[in-house]
Amino acid sequence: MKSLLAPLARSAVTILIVLLAILVALWLWRRYETDPWTRDGHLRADIVRVTPDVAGLVTQVAVHDNQAVKPGDILFVVDRPRFQLTLAQSDAAIASARATLLQARREAQRDLALGDLVAKETHEQNVARVATASASLAQAESQRDTAALNLARTTVRATVRGIVTNLDLHPGDYIAAGTQAMALVDSDSLRVEGYFEETKLARIRLGDPVVVHLMGEPRALYGRVDSIAAGINDSERSNTTNLLPNVNPTFTWVRLAQRIPVRVKLERVPAGVALIVGRTATVTVQPRVQP
Amino acid sequence: MTGEISIGGVYLPTILLLTVAALLLTGLLTRLFAFVGIYRLVAYRPLVDLALFILILGLLALLTGPSA
Repeated sequence: MKSLLAPLARSAVTILIVLLAILVALWLWRRYETDPWTRDGHLRADIVRVTPDVAGLVTQVAVHDNQAVKPGDILFVVDRPRFQLTLAQSDAAIASARATLLQARREAQRDLALGDLVAKETHEQNVARVATASASLAQAESQRDTAALNLARTTVRATVRGIVTNLDLHPGDYIAAGTQAMALVDSDSLRVEGYFEETKLARIRLGDPVVVHLMGEPRALYGRVDSIAAGINDSERSNTTNLLPNVNPTFTWVRLAQRIPVRVKLERVPAGVALIVGRTATVTVQPRVQP
Repeated sequence: MTGEISIGGVYLPTILLLTVAALLLTGLLTRLFAFVGIYRLVAYRPLVDLALFILILGLLALLTGPSA
């Protein structure tokens, strides 16, 4: 009897150990393969492409590289004297138009006083001349307003709270209207974007707490899932010139899950952590306990 | 869970290092078990060794980081 029991006990112990190992293996698989975390995350922010509305010589650069600015701070000034001259010119044009109008009015009134001594045609011409002169005055006034606007636009100001970075603009540079002059990193829009495999998206919900580890930073940052991207590019198709889709005929046997950007709003950042746009981050979403 | 460990600027997945560590530990432990004579209590030694490796790996993974 005892000789039969011993092998049974040995088998039972073995099976128990193996079952335990299977459970642990499943736990490991869950932890590394299905739990929503990714090493492929980046710190991102909106970049304001600061651009002047008027062209000209840069006369003053009021910021230095990597300087923090507030909305309304002067960044740089473009050729103010030239636009002041244009404004003065428009003022002179207004004076000229006004003089012409007054003269036209005086002549019209004189001719009216003379009554029938003046040809009807001349009266009509007088009315037309007054109208033309008054239109010219209005035109000159609107040109002056434009010149004043251009003068105001020579001073380029920050539109957001942020940091000027990679500044390569110097007094004496000529800048064309619409050319980007510098990059302004919008500090208020700092966020982490985790690129999650699409297989893990089912376990991510808006508002889930998130732990973020920046590369080389021992302290953790905390945040919440803010939103999930609405779309990514479909690499399997492209458009042709006749607008018919060109679908890639090869489909790989072994394939990779695509990555979907998930936006994380940072809520708690330890003091002293350098939030530099582009830093690599490990993003772990902690699924909330089901109520 | 940081997810990776830096060795001279090269970032390796933690699980890789844990696997290597678990392999070494399993090797030591099987020697010890053979010396003590624990293998007399089980039916099929290779299966138990494999299970031991997985158990040690799970234990290391549990110890190295808070579970998500």
